[in-house]
Amino acid sequence: MNRMAKAALLTRLLIALRNHGSWCGETHVQKSIYLLQELCSVPLNFRFVLYKHGPFSFDLRDELTSLQADDLLTLQPQAIPYGPRLAPTVGAQALANRFPKTLASYGAAVDFIAERLGSCGVNALERLATAVYVRRQHPEASSTECAKILAGLKPHILLENALTAVDEADQLFLETRLQPMLS
Amino acid sequence: MIKHIHELRDPIHAFVRLTTDERRILDSRPFQRLRHIHQLALTYLVYPGATHRRFEHSLGVMELAGRVFDVISHPGNLTDKVRDLVPELSSDKRGYWRQVVRMAALCHDIGHLPFSHAAEKELLPPGKTHEDLTALLVNSHEMAPLWEDMNIQPKRIAKLALGPKEMRDETFSVLETILSEIIVGDAFGVDRMDYLLRDSLHTGVAYGRFDHFRLVDTLRILTAPPSGGEDDEENEALALGVEVGGLQSAEALLLARYFMYSQVYFHAIRRIYDIHLRDFLSEWLAPAGYPFEVDGHLGLTDVEVLAAMRDAERKASAPGHASAHNILCRGHFRPIYFRNPADTAINPEAGGELLRALQGQFEPTCFRRDRYPQKAGAPNFPVLLHNGQVSSSLALSAVLQNLPLVSVDTIYASPHIRAVSEKWLNKHRGDLLRPSSEEDLE
Repeated sequence: MNRMAKAALLTRLLIALRNHGSWCGETHVQKSIYLLQELCSVPLNFRFVLYKHGPFSFDLRDELTSLQADDLLTLQPQAIPYGPRLAPTVGAQALANRFPKTLASYGAAVDFIAERLGSCGVNALERLATAVYVRRQHPEASSTECAKILAGLKPHILLENALTAVDEADQLFLETRLQPMLS
Repeated sequence: MIKHIHELRDPIHAFVRLTTDERRILDSRPFQRLRHIHQLALTYLVYPGATHRRFEHSLGVMELAGRVFDVISHPGNLTDKVRDLVPELSSDKRGYWRQVVRMAALCHDIGHLPFSHAAEKELLPPGKTHEDLTALLVNSHEMAPLWEDMNIQPKRIAKLALGPKEMRDETFSVLETILSEIIVGDAFGVDRMDYLLRDSLHTGVAYGRFDHFRLVDTLRILTAPPSGGEDDEENEALALGVEVGGLQSAEALLLARYFMYSQVYFHAIRRIYDIHLRDFLSEWLAPAGYPFEVDGHLGLTDVEVLAAMRDAERKASAPGHASAHNILCRGHFRPIYFRNPADTAINPEAGGELLRALQGQFEPTCFRRDRYPQKAGAPNFPVLLHNGQVSSSLALSAVLQNLPLVSVDTIYASPHIRAVSEKWLNKHRGDLLRPSSEEDLE
């Protein structure tokens, strides 16, 4: 997928996330793109590593800045003490109209991710995305084993919360496998 | 009496001090090679003073890294949460980690190709970067015995020098993540602090200056700023931020970066020299490409490249002759098109469309395009308020809210065709801007 097609898909995702109540800060976008790519196999080709809040792509962060430099994305500052929200510009929405086939192909996956993640805060997103990351690395491990690995990687996450996150991740894997439109 | 501390004078930091062990790293072949790598490639052809090298920059980065480490790990500056998550900072390991940070900072650039960034992507094997070369050298026979004598694992040096962005296959602890942020962090990385100050001094462009003393003194390890709305919860990740009293110096740093980008790093003629240099190196090193191994890398510096370039300029049949001529005889291509809001409103990739049209109308090799939207932004960092609360910098600072980002899309033409192609472009530009090919899914 070329850069402009990715920008069109990102625009669609940001709008969908906001419609489902997401704050749409960078962490929300990072985790949503991660799950879109890894759970729903949308070929965005961002490389993710395990970072402060779980899976994180430096390529994606650079691209989010580049899209701001190209006037396709804007940071909306918020009241003290909150971090900014990301929003597509008018130009980005015009650009998205040039990619109807891309949006039709991956629209269901975008809506699925937005619906599932729109209401999540950053800590819940960190737990869930990290659980997906761990599960991908350890597909045969039991839930408890995965939860222990997760809590080892992120010492501030309690084991019981890690276990819940692994169960949620397994549920998402199951749902995306059962719905061909999503994977 | 034997000296255990060695001083070097430095135009930015006055003195840079090293221990005897640290000086052995300084004296190693990989580090000494940096004496012959220009910090800003061929920028000296535009800003004559910009002849400084990666050698002194790396010393400056080490000096600043040590200062930042001392401030953020000072017991009085650590919160209980930070002590819990990174207990190593308040233990007897503090001295060890200080040396690892300083050595990682010193070595962070040893993998740079001749003339720094100019031709890395084209010359290295696919997927490889100068950071991979840095990791290779840190672990090489040239340096491994020195690390062993210092009781430092080379892998730790590589991790902190390059950070999680470049060491993708490594898992970073909370401490390693924070310490690598000291060096390569987007907002307050000392690599950037030093190069802005040093490049500003040597180019004579005063906009790159900022109050780094105040900034360093106010740096703290903080929790990341909270999100808002219904999702109002404390953020649990740690990041480098500033006390509120340092916010203005942080603004000055980010403004300095913007001005240096727009005045120096993205100067149109400086950029075309990079492109000609890239063309020259690609031809000169063909077909083998750049030697991605220790001895080959250590044997290639700007000195060898400049000697080859001067030879090639004199010989019309030599590989890279045309590019060598463009560089050494000021025959560089001239800009005929710059990115502008009216055109990008029609097509964000306007330059690409126009380049295709020009190459269809005239000799294709007579044109080059330089496209680069700024990548590192990071104006959103945590700020510690007087009441102990942590806030997003963007919620506090109107300066950061309005900080411009640089996006470059320039087309250059060979001098002999410049006038006619520019005239043709101006006449037809309106018709050419619309995307000619359907980029949507096949």
